[in-house]
Amino acid sequence: MKLLRTENLTRYFGGLCAVNDVDFELVSGEIVGLIGPNGAGKTTLINLLSGVFPPSSGNIIFQDDDISRLKAHQVNSLGIARTFQVVRVFKKLTVLDNVLAAAVDRRRLGPWSLVAQAILGRSWSQAARDHDEADRLLEFVGLASYSDELAENLPYALSKRLEIARALATSPTLLLLDEPSSGLNPSELNDQIEIVRKINRQGVTILIIEHVMKVIMDISQRLIVLHYGKKIAEGSPREVYQDPEVVEAYLGGETHVEYR
Amino acid sequence: MNPRVPIWLKWALGAAALIALPLVVRDRYFLHLLVTAGIFVLLASSWNLLAGYAGQLNLGHAAFYGIGAYTSAILATKLGITPWLGLFAGGFVSALFGLMLGVPSLRLSGPYLAITTIGFSEILRLVAMNWVQLTRGSLGLYGIPPFTPIRLGSWLEIQFRSEISCYYLLLVLVCASLVIFRRLIRSEFGLSLESLREDEIGAASIGVNISGYKLAVFTISAFFAGLAGAFFAHYQRLVSPDTLSLGETFTILTMTMLGGLGTLLGPVVGAVLLTFLSEGLRFLEDMVKLDVRMIIYGVLLIVTILFMRGGIVGLLNSLRGTGRAKD
Amino acid sequence: MESLFLQQTVNGIIVGSVYSLIAIGLTMVFGVMKISNFAHGDYSMLGAYVAVFMLGVFPGWLGWVGSMLAAAAGVGVIGLLSERLLFRPLLDRWTDIDIIMVSVGLFLLLENLAQLLFGATPRMIKDPFGGTTLNLVLVSTSVLRLFCLAFSCVAIALLQIFLTRTRLGVAIRATSQNRFAALLMGVDTTMVYALTFSVGVALAGIGGVLYGTLFAVFPTMGAMPTLKAFAVTIMGGMGSIRGAIFGGFILGIAETLGGNYISMDYKNAIGFVIIILVLLVRPRGLFGRKEGA
Repeated sequence: MKLLRTENLTRYFGGLCAVNDVDFELVSGEIVGLIGPNGAGKTTLINLLSGVFPPSSGNIIFQDDDISRLKAHQVNSLGIARTFQVVRVFKKLTVLDNVLAAAVDRRRLGPWSLVAQAILGRSWSQAARDHDEADRLLEFVGLASYSDELAENLPYALSKRLEIARALATSPTLLLLDEPSSGLNPSELNDQIEIVRKINRQGVTILIIEHVMKVIMDISQRLIVLHYGKKIAEGSPREVYQDPEVVEAYLGGETHVEYR
Repeated sequence: MNPRVPIWLKWALGAAALIALPLVVRDRYFLHLLVTAGIFVLLASSWNLLAGYAGQLNLGHAAFYGIGAYTSAILATKLGITPWLGLFAGGFVSALFGLMLGVPSLRLSGPYLAITTIGFSEILRLVAMNWVQLTRGSLGLYGIPPFTPIRLGSWLEIQFRSEISCYYLLLVLVCASLVIFRRLIRSEFGLSLESLREDEIGAASIGVNISGYKLAVFTISAFFAGLAGAFFAHYQRLVSPDTLSLGETFTILTMTMLGGLGTLLGPVVGAVLLTFLSEGLRFLEDMVKLDVRMIIYGVLLIVTILFMRGGIVGLLNSLRGTGRAKD
Repeated sequence: MESLFLQQTVNGIIVGSVYSLIAIGLTMVFGVMKISNFAHGDYSMLGAYVAVFMLGVFPGWLGWVGSMLAAAAGVGVIGLLSERLLFRPLLDRWTDIDIIMVSVGLFLLLENLAQLLFGATPRMIKDPFGGTTLNLVLVSTSVLRLFCLAFSCVAIALLQIFLTRTRLGVAIRATSQNRFAALLMGVDTTMVYALTFSVGVALAGIGGVLYGTLFAVFPTMGAMPTLKAFAVTIMGGMGSIRGAIFGGFILGIAETLGGNYISMDYKNAIGFVIIILVLLVRPRGLFGRKEGA
């Protein structure tokens, strides 16, 4: 079942075209890798998909809904969650609170509903359920023993896992991972790969940006390659690996403009 | 936590002390200080919700206070509306202005937001000073009626002309408000606010409607400040544009920072402490014939931020070894 | 009347030049250190008092000019102290709230300390040129005011030379554009911070002398220049010196013309209105940099 597709997705920043007429599809349940040299527009694409900013033109269709112009929190409510290239956990909140904040059913409960709930009192059973859910997720990523620790005190690798747990707490159907293994050492890398696999086995579709070849080749069922904002290749890891255009993009050619 | 003294007992003792206090210390000026402290508890707590929990830097909070005061005062003096209604009218009108001020907060943050809130406050103060027909300008509104007496049965009537009865009324208001604040803070709403404070983009990515929450917290914060203002109007029975001054806001700020930004009790501690401290300073000023109060506020503010970021409550919490300064 | 319009425009330019001078310091400090200093105008106030006392000892135009140098030096030193003691410790755990609060505390401190030390009665800076006016074709203005304009421009020009032609100046500009890169290139950012802050407030000090000359000197006079400086920097773009220069003149002219043709009472509100308008329509100002996504 087609979960997501983009049509002529384009995004300009001033005169710079970061994502250029990209068409691709995601099928429910797969793990797709998004690769490309630095500055190819991968993070911009993720930002577009997660609603951080709208496209300059083109569409994003998620489960038959056009989500192109939705805001980030609305996109999340529809079932797309993400992590960030540079970790953005809630530093002064505890690990548990980070996940609890995400576990709130925001599809049903907006700010004023929560205000009413706060003042009038929430049912114990609901509170317990959310707490259990959060505990389960922390267990899932291996952070259960850090529950009461402030997020800012976590070592980098663990804070990346916290971000994943937090994203999962929003019950997504599609998870966008932006370089989940950047900054990790080899053993942490393996744990990370395992977690991503576990998530996928639970039925979550995954789009993962990665630079570390080992990870991406291992994990992905399919790869999409971006270069200068354009999709230049798509296919199985083997196929893409041998695609001459991909090879040239990574190894050869002129120096390209650094975006960020 | 001392295991020998259960929490409920501490609260009961505290409550008893607060109730008994005016009966023991009958000095009217002391009671006036208590009432002043209570009003500042409301102001500081409401500011704390906005700045400490939601991270929105509002340097125009006194405006909400003033709006509440003027609203209730005008309703009472010009339309004869009972102060009991005026109390909530003051809160609601102020809440409306809070909503208004929330709008720029959707696009601005940090110094830009701060300056806008100052502008908002100053413009309103100018209006209060110049719209003489409504507010009597710099002269202010006087002769504001006190809270109308409550009748219990045919033989007991509670009047609100004295400090002591106003004190008890305020005690009820403050306690109710603190209970509400506590519930808001310790709930998913509070958690959502804190996530907004920590990282807006991250919060949005987990479904937090940033705009919605910002508007909500501005509205709520303004409501309680307005409530405090309306109470003040019928207590002091005189309202002037000074209630909207930046000096008032800076006092609220200093109290909250000193007590502990982002904690529940911080504003309470700060408000009470600074109210009585400034009284002590008044004696000092009379003795030394110098106006040192604001200087000391400035110094306190600076020292707190440099050395005691969590304020007094934060300090106590770290001494006790608690990870988070929540209570 | 034709000449009135021109007259007021000239007045606006003169006042505007002082605004520019004061605002440049604010925008520099923001551009390099990301500090919004709500006490900035108080440094102007201190500079104005330096002039008051200097002129008490050395009256006449020599004293007046000398007081500008003294103000720059004195306020610069106070700036060094404030930076070292108040702002630098915060730079590593910097959050908007912390820095703004500290500057609010500083504002309370300076303003009230000044009130304590100097008394609340306003002082006037006596016109060292004895009130001589100059009558040009359509406008007339006092020699004093012309010299105010001249000195503002000179100070701004000197700053530009400093920033473009000296190594320290280039270091400041580099740090403002990209702190990490500057660090990697061997720039001593700590020293740059101290220098930027001191120069920034020194300029405010000189501006304070001029401001006090044009208006009056009293302990709470700092709030106005702070507000005006913020209006100017927001209009011109926080961090942009060019913006501060443009913005200052625009505000000066807008105020004098507005005050004349619209309402004298709300002249000072023009600054606020500009702030709100700019923030609503184009938050980064004329020359400001766009915030990273």
